[in-house]
Amino acid sequence: MSAGAHTSPAAGTAPITPVVVRLKLSLLRNGLRQSGGRRAAYITSAVVALLFAALQLTGFLALRGHAHIASVSVLAAAVLALGWAVMPLFFPGGDETLDPTRLVMLPLRPRPLVRALLAASLVGIGPLFTVLLLVGCVVSVAHGAAAYAVAVLALALALLVCVALARAVAAANIRLLTSRKGRDLAVLSGLVIAIGAQLVNFGMQRLGSAGLAQLEPAREVLQWVPPASAVAAVDATSRGSYGIAAAQLALTAAALVVLLGLWARSLTRLMTSPDASTLQPADAAVRERSRSGGLARLLPAGRTGTVMERSLRYVWRDPKTKAAWVTSLAIGLIVPVFNALQGTGSPYFACFAAGMLGIQMYNQFGQDTSAFWMVALTVSTPRDAYVELRGRALALLLITLPYATLVTVVTTALLGGWTRLPEVLGLSFALLGAMLATGAWTSARFPYSIPQEGYKNVAPGQAGLAWISIFGGMVAAALLCSPVIALLIWANVSANGHTWAWLLLPTGAAYGATLTFVGLRLAAPRTAARLPEILTAVSKG
Amino acid sequence: MTGAGAGSAAVRVQGLWKRFGQQVAVAGIDLELPAGKFIGLVGPNGAGKTTTLSMVTGLLRPDQGTVEVVGHDVWRDPVAVKARIGVLPEGLRLFERLSGRELLSYSGRLRGLPGAEVDRRATQLLDVLDLAGAQHKLVVDYSTGMRKKIGLATALLHNPEVLFLDEPFEGVDPVSAQTIRGVLERYTASGATVVFSSHVMELVESLCDWVAVMAAGRIRAQGTLAEVRGEAPTLQRAFLELVGAQGRDTASDLDWLGGGPR
Repeated sequence: MSAGAHTSPAAGTAPITPVVVRLKLSLLRNGLRQSGGRRAAYITSAVVALLFAALQLTGFLALRGHAHIASVSVLAAAVLALGWAVMPLFFPGGDETLDPTRLVMLPLRPRPLVRALLAASLVGIGPLFTVLLLVGCVVSVAHGAAAYAVAVLALALALLVCVALARAVAAANIRLLTSRKGRDLAVLSGLVIAIGAQLVNFGMQRLGSAGLAQLEPAREVLQWVPPASAVAAVDATSRGSYGIAAAQLALTAAALVVLLGLWARSLTRLMTSPDASTLQPADAAVRERSRSGGLARLLPAGRTGTVMERSLRYVWRDPKTKAAWVTSLAIGLIVPVFNALQGTGSPYFACFAAGMLGIQMYNQFGQDTSAFWMVALTVSTPRDAYVELRGRALALLLITLPYATLVTVVTTALLGGWTRLPEVLGLSFALLGAMLATGAWTSARFPYSIPQEGYKNVAPGQAGLAWISIFGGMVAAALLCSPVIALLIWANVSANGHTWAWLLLPTGAAYGATLTFVGLRLAAPRTAARLPEILTAVSKG
Repeated sequence: MTGAGAGSAAVRVQGLWKRFGQQVAVAGIDLELPAGKFIGLVGPNGAGKTTTLSMVTGLLRPDQGTVEVVGHDVWRDPVAVKARIGVLPEGLRLFERLSGRELLSYSGRLRGLPGAEVDRRATQLLDVLDLAGAQHKLVVDYSTGMRKKIGLATALLHNPEVLFLDEPFEGVDPVSAQTIRGVLERYTASGATVVFSSHVMELVESLCDWVAVMAAGRIRAQGTLAEVRGEAPTLQRAFLELVGAQGRDTASDLDWLGGGPR
């Protein structure tokens, strides 16, 4: 250490930026050297990303001069920035230099460190992809020498804002990202992407039918939001509005300064305060308790209420269960309602909600993981198993029944087909009952493990089981619904059928309830007889 | 005790077999564990202790053989057995997204105990096991020692006649271990039976009055501590002799190791 005292002034003045950039390069290189598979994956993703970026670039250049190109460019820059902001939250393990706590033992001041880390952040596929995309954005709106000059500045500013945004978000949340809650959050990321893709899909369809003029209102707002404002500045210069352009550029630069300041502050805090990963937030647990306290009083007593309470708590607290539920709820709403909004839908699409939510009844015991032993030890008779399964079905119905009804009502309202409401509701309830029945039965017959870590929903070697369970069950559920479907067709094609169509609501509901009851009755003895086998099946992985 | 004509046996195992593919995990064991004793099932890793305990508690179906707990067949009369046993398995999860108190409440109500009684017992157990401060924390955030303790509390909540604990002291800090020990000693003093597995001989020697030694899927010896120990000075020595690890003398090998430069 005494030698360090002599060399440290020199080390303090020497620029650390090249060192950190070289560190980043070595980390990249070593990561690739580890395995052929990783190298292949990296190269593939690089090629795909660059091809995609090149395509975008060509698209932007081709659209140059289009009436609404400015809107597209500004929106693209905003979406890009959003991507940079959320990426570190979902993929925290991606960049080791992103975790400044690894550098905590080095005698570094925040300011040079921020500079160095920012420079290192500019190395990689992500930044290259961003540059290509931003080049497309600024070139597509640049007309004239002044605009091109502004474009260069705008490009640099926008890129730096994106990177600084990612770093600032990551540094502010590093505690979260390295904790259990952060890992829980990562499990939910797949879901955000899935739902985001649905929204983008519908957005694109809408644009395709209504034209790019739809984007104008978005541009009105986003042109003042950095880093999209930098792209808007290029557009403003092209149109000769130099004052607006200057304001937009200044806004972007100010955002960059603020982000860097925030980043530096959280860096300093991180590096000077102890690692809190072992200190758990006690207040969070207390909050969770008080929230669910009232719930228990409303549920029935005995095993039924106990099982329902646990199931409902897991919907909220277990990341895998939560992800599955939110996906089901979102897709079950998006498909019928968005189709109805576009006027292309049918009220029968509302059955999607019942179908998607019914899937949650499948593989009930797999959702327990190996904690199923606690259930197995308290199930001695088919009756116990029946009450257990019924409790789970009731918990599910508590959410599903109002939700499916709501989606059906909203869909029919949007389509103005009020006369269809009873029959669609009837079909929804019948489908829900059939899904619960087949779900209970396949839970007992084809249980499989759900790994708790990572994005997989099936343990290796059990994919076949999962397919049989879900797809076989869904086909069976559809077949079970065929009597109601037949009645529905009859009501729609026969001469005076629709005077009786309202009867499909009570018929469908009663039929669904009967199916559920029979399904639970059949599943219960199987569950009770196969407890050790189920436990073995759900304990893998 | 309602042990229907079982005499003094808490657990009686006959000809128990379990194979996993080619591997024989348990090779036809016979066991008779006396009631009201602190019983240790000892053996090296992979001896078949966990497999045996899983089969005895009804969590794993044996290929062959019978298991009786307090006179009731585990597979033919699960109603009588499941109400009378408490289990702390190894390598299986708990419902970790519940808080410690919620887990106890869930487990007790699932067993059909009245709610008020469950809450009363849970409060006492959390207190005695030093978990009162963490009772509202999710079990997923518990340390190993805390998990073992909340697992033990779950196993004790319904006041079972026989308690099966798989490696209850594995990875547990000395303070928690002492707490667990105190609770278990009080529990056996009241006439209940504890069966626990371990590979730490000193622990078994200091806790148990009855021992079964297992190795390679077979029972090598069973009886009171004194009987199993025999002539050997410690259980450790007796155990090494029983499992045949005694002949290997390390004195002649590695003669270059230690003692500074020569």
